[in-house]
Amino acid sequence: MINLIFLPIVLPLLASVIAALLTKKIKITRLFSQITSVVFLIFVGGLAFYIFQNGSIVGQAGGWAAPYGISIVGDPLAILLVLTTNIIGTAAIFYAPRILEEKQERFYFYALYFLLIAGVSGAFMTGDLFNLFVFFEVLLMASYGLIVLGNGKAQLRESFKYVLFNLFSSMLFIVSVAYIYAITGTVNLAHLAERVETVEQQGVLTAVGMILFFVFAVKAAVFPLYYWLPNSYVVPNPVVSALFGALLTKVGIYSIIRVYTLIFVHETAITHSIFIWLAMFTMIFGVIGALSTHNVKLIVTYNIIPAVGFMLMGIGLYTPEAIAGSVYYLMHDMVIKGALFFLIGALVIAAGTKDLRQMSGVIQKYPLLGWVFFIASLILAGVPPFSGFIGKILLLEGGLRQEEFLLVIVALLSSLLILLSMMRIFVYGFWGELMDGLSNERKRIRQLTIPGVVLVGLAIFLGIGAEFVYPQIESISNMLYERTDYISSVLKE
Amino acid sequence: MIFAIFAPLLLAFIIPLLSKWKHKVHTGWLILPIPFAVFLYFLQYVGADFQPQMVSVDWIPSLDIALSFHLDGLSLLFALLISGIGTLVVLYSIYYLDHKEQLGHFYTYLYIFMTAMLGVVLSDNVFGLYAFWEFTSISSFLLIGYWHHRERSRYGALKSMLITVFGGFSLLAGIILLSIVTGTTSIQGMVEQSDVIVNSEYFPFILIFLLLGAFTKSAQFPFHIWLPDAMEAPTPVSAYLHSATMVKAGIYLMARFSPILAGEPYVFIALSLFGLVTLTWGSYMAVRQTDLKGILAYSTISQLGMIMAMLGFGTKVGLFAAVFHILNHATFKGSLFMIAGIVDHETGSRDIRKLGGLFTFMPISATLAIFGTFSMAGVPLPFLNGFYSKEMFFQASLDNTASGAFAETLVTIIPVLAVVGSIFTFIYSMYLFFNTFTGKSQVEELPKHPHEAPKMMLVPPFILVLGVLIIGLFPTIFNESLITHAADAVYGGEANKEIYFWHGLIPAFYMSIAVVVIGAIMYLTKSKWSRIYQVLPGRLSMNRVYDWMVEKSETASQRITNTYMTGSLRQYMVLLLTAITVIVAGVLVKTNGINFDMAETASITTTEVIVTLLIAVAAIATIFARNRIAIILIVGVVGYGLAILFVLYRAPDLALTQLIVETVTVTLFMLCFYHLPNLKKDTSSWFTKSTNVIISVAFGLLMMVVGISAYNSRSFDTIAQYFIDNTYKLGGGDNMVNVILVDFRGIDTLFEVAVLFGAALAIIGMIKLRRNKGAN
Amino acid sequence: MEIILTVLASILFSTGIYNLLQKQLLRIIVGTVLISHGAHLFLLTMSQVKRGAPPLLVDDVSSYTDPLPQALILTAIVISFGVTSFLLVLAYRTYTLNKTDNMEEMRGSDYD
Repeated sequence: MINLIFLPIVLPLLASVIAALLTKKIKITRLFSQITSVVFLIFVGGLAFYIFQNGSIVGQAGGWAAPYGISIVGDPLAILLVLTTNIIGTAAIFYAPRILEEKQERFYFYALYFLLIAGVSGAFMTGDLFNLFVFFEVLLMASYGLIVLGNGKAQLRESFKYVLFNLFSSMLFIVSVAYIYAITGTVNLAHLAERVETVEQQGVLTAVGMILFFVFAVKAAVFPLYYWLPNSYVVPNPVVSALFGALLTKVGIYSIIRVYTLIFVHETAITHSIFIWLAMFTMIFGVIGALSTHNVKLIVTYNIIPAVGFMLMGIGLYTPEAIAGSVYYLMHDMVIKGALFFLIGALVIAAGTKDLRQMSGVIQKYPLLGWVFFIASLILAGVPPFSGFIGKILLLEGGLRQEEFLLVIVALLSSLLILLSMMRIFVYGFWGELMDGLSNERKRIRQLTIPGVVLVGLAIFLGIGAEFVYPQIESISNMLYERTDYISSVLKE
Repeated sequence: MIFAIFAPLLLAFIIPLLSKWKHKVHTGWLILPIPFAVFLYFLQYVGADFQPQMVSVDWIPSLDIALSFHLDGLSLLFALLISGIGTLVVLYSIYYLDHKEQLGHFYTYLYIFMTAMLGVVLSDNVFGLYAFWEFTSISSFLLIGYWHHRERSRYGALKSMLITVFGGFSLLAGIILLSIVTGTTSIQGMVEQSDVIVNSEYFPFILIFLLLGAFTKSAQFPFHIWLPDAMEAPTPVSAYLHSATMVKAGIYLMARFSPILAGEPYVFIALSLFGLVTLTWGSYMAVRQTDLKGILAYSTISQLGMIMAMLGFGTKVGLFAAVFHILNHATFKGSLFMIAGIVDHETGSRDIRKLGGLFTFMPISATLAIFGTFSMAGVPLPFLNGFYSKEMFFQASLDNTASGAFAETLVTIIPVLAVVGSIFTFIYSMYLFFNTFTGKSQVEELPKHPHEAPKMMLVPPFILVLGVLIIGLFPTIFNESLITHAADAVYGGEANKEIYFWHGLIPAFYMSIAVVVIGAIMYLTKSKWSRIYQVLPGRLSMNRVYDWMVEKSETASQRITNTYMTGSLRQYMVLLLTAITVIVAGVLVKTNGINFDMAETASITTTEVIVTLLIAVAAIATIFARNRIAIILIVGVVGYGLAILFVLYRAPDLALTQLIVETVTVTLFMLCFYHLPNLKKDTSSWFTKSTNVIISVAFGLLMMVVGISAYNSRSFDTIAQYFIDNTYKLGGGDNMVNVILVDFRGIDTLFEVAVLFGAALAIIGMIKLRRNKGAN
Repeated sequence: MEIILTVLASILFSTGIYNLLQKQLLRIIVGTVLISHGAHLFLLTMSQVKRGAPPLLVDDVSSYTDPLPQALILTAIVISFGVTSFLLVLAYRTYTLNKTDNMEEMRGSDYD
């Protein structure tokens, strides 16, 4: 059983190599990718079920005991996120053939996709700080490959900036590892947690922790480090944007959650109150960005940022329920961002333009797309009884209990403005007189809408069926807050 | 009861299927029985011996969110209004909406609303209430935008949604605070702990959040502006949502929490002040309108203000009158909306300046309108229900006591504002009736030749007018079986009150007479006053504020975003580095992180110093290099220098790798930059240059300080000893680094190869895709 | 010596960042290379240098230098190499498509 825990990481890597070799026969590659991702999904689902029932599985790579080898930790949080990743990934695989040009598919979309999944899953599951760096590099390399796919002029221009930002933060990551190794002499997360606790996070450790926070914050797109995000997420193909929007920033947020609930938890008065301020500004500037443009894809892209603010808010509040809120929101946001990018991709194909001012009446011809988009917008804004709502009440309740009134008000107002930015697309793009130049490819639009429908359905379930999910999230957040479960399951003392 | 609440919603999912047959049978007929059945279901509870009921189903028990429904007098009154008027509106809409319209959509939205609204007034769980609350806003948005090809509909829909959802979010904050303070999510549970709430330090926040929720939903000044624009919805919707039910959700909320809030000085001030201002302003604005529905919209605003004010008084009379007026208003306003819709439908115009003299063409409608308008005006006739509640309102306005300078002034102003507001109410009621149905007819101006509406279309307003009369003639029946229970629920105890037509010559009666007399005079001389209406509100309109805010949200956000999202890599980097430097340095100082107590260091030898200096000089030289070949060679010097350092520091494997990688990198550089232009002189401004220097030096310094401090803070033995001990024993190799790479940390290496694999794929993709393009 | 090495690594960082803030693609890439050298040097320095023999098992040597950072650096060097080569090709392609090697001329808000 224990060795199965490596499969969510190793299998996609294997699939990536096979997909790269198969690439000449595009139809076979497609079929292979679709079957493989469904199989992975079922497998990960089973694994997740097992872990929720029986507790964490920790695999020590090569059989080397922690903290000397690398631990792959299948704790409920990690496996939950890996499962969500695979769900979105599978939806993306079925979306891809309809939206990519064939030559984009041929030039390793599928291979890079599987590499991305391997990197993301690895980042969620690894219990080793340096290994986390390696998985970051894997997923970044895959994302570099995906972002340049298509070779547009603007695309390369923005890719270059994207690569530089990530490269810089990776280098900073190595330096942080160096600092941490100097002080504690270890790179295993659980072992780190123990040793940092022993010295009560004194002296320079908090500053080192802050550097590490910024490393993740660049990837998570926290204020004021998110400048690279909007333009570089808007240039690639919608399926790539969906994968990025749903997965990449979330890896950053996950890492912040992990490190700041496991290791650096002894100076919360300083570190976590900084997070609260950053969360607030992240929300404000994110929604301001979303309101500033008429490019529908850019509107959705900007909406990634306030969501990051919400999740950071929970970490900053640092109470079990606020952390539960962050985790719930994290899961919800992965699903709904994936769905929205899929739908926006379909909308852009249907309307033939990204400019909201040139769109109108799309719903008259594509009602399914319109209504799913409408519901997705409500979910995004946290309207009950959908998934965004559950995370939001937990976060707000956490905020109010800590008497962070300003934070709560900012959070509510930004939810309102998120709704405004999305409703503008609905009211002006979908409603109104039927526009000229609307696409006639009904079949293609329908096929492009379905992955979005599936994800929106999941988001609705996460809200209405919260009772099936929330107890798990609650135990995850308690585990995060208590820390002992993670440490003892890795170190087995 | 749960089935009764959700029946309309369930039906809503089926409706789109039904519209297939809409050419044979109007969809409305097919679905009419449901609201009527719901009405009958709730009707069975009406009676003198009514007892509150409670049903509950778990939903998300771990978050204390449940679908629990509490049926007390207040909820019953609302449930009857929602289902009863709902039935009439559906019946009315069958004649109002042609089957060419998208009926499926219309009825789906309407039935979603019905469930949502029933849920609002019946939920006992605050989160349940909130969920339904937001759904009323959303269904209202969809209904206002029903004719979405019209620009005004879209504008009105978005406006109503923004304002009501804003209030909804505020309400959410309020109920979360309430549940934190009381530890329960049940409204009844909260009512039991009212003193805990009132004495809590959060009470001011709770109050503000709840009031914002209620005021936005019930269109209280200054949030009333969405309601007139909501009139873009089809008239049945206006009659239903925007007069009888949804806009009363805010009133309901205040009434529901009244056992907790009533009697609190701030509640009194806020509710009566805003209520009365809304009453006066709304009725004043109604007189200015030229659109029939516009008049009715402002009239609704003003009546809602009046009810809100009565809730604010918090006295037995006030609360009773508020509940009574909720019922009365629903009857006469509902009928008037329907008649306005009939006029619009049969003449093609709602512009009161074009209408007139319609009595001869549509006598039945006109007769119904008389009762509606006169009841609304509060004309003292024993068969008009509007008069009863209006007089109670006057009575209540005189009854207030308060302490504190501001509250005392308010107490004296209340009756004055009440009378002024009622005078304008009288004026617009007369204006509405007489200018539409009497006077000179201008048939030729109208798009259609006016005639009486189909009989069935007149049935719903007729039933409502019948309601006006029956309540007026036999108030006691309604009182004992329904209103008393509702008033008790609002008061939180026995609030029994008799309803009489004649109270004797009390001050309230004089106030009523004054309203009628002054109102009549002002109506008759309206043409002389009308210039005042042009002056006020002029630029004061809250609409301008809203439009300004929406417009600003766009332009200002564009401006803000454009200032920092310039697309300039340098600028982004500068902001990023500054942020990291400042915050990390701050934390470093704050936590006393700087540690310069030198730990044990290795000895310094000349060779090392020379190599170090060489690297440092080379690194600095890159800045000044002017030639691409030169700069690549200089970078090579740094790389090879590093390799030498690795040798010196006993890392032979590293040195080897570094040498190979450096050689390949330099070659790649050469290959690639052969195609790139040569380096140019840095022509940027002195300011740019110095910022660059400051930022890079500052960041380097930070790295250095943290680095030295970290080095000096060594607190543990590293885990290295394990590798040294076990490399041979367990790993079977001599070279520790190799064994670590391939065995202890094999996953690192596996995925390091994966990175190279990814890089290769990406590079091939980049190069080959271009070739393909060229070939095409 | 470690202190000197820390200073050297910081100098590599500073000069790297300075180059990163320039306009020309070539300088920017040179900047990233310097920064990664700096990062690797940090990793080496922070684990103390010159303590014991090279990490190759030899009889009757009991004190070895810490092998773990060396392994980590090796991994990092290879990864940096992969990223740098990708970046070089990307720079070349960006240059040929955008017809400029000046980043400040590559702001743009067109997302074709």
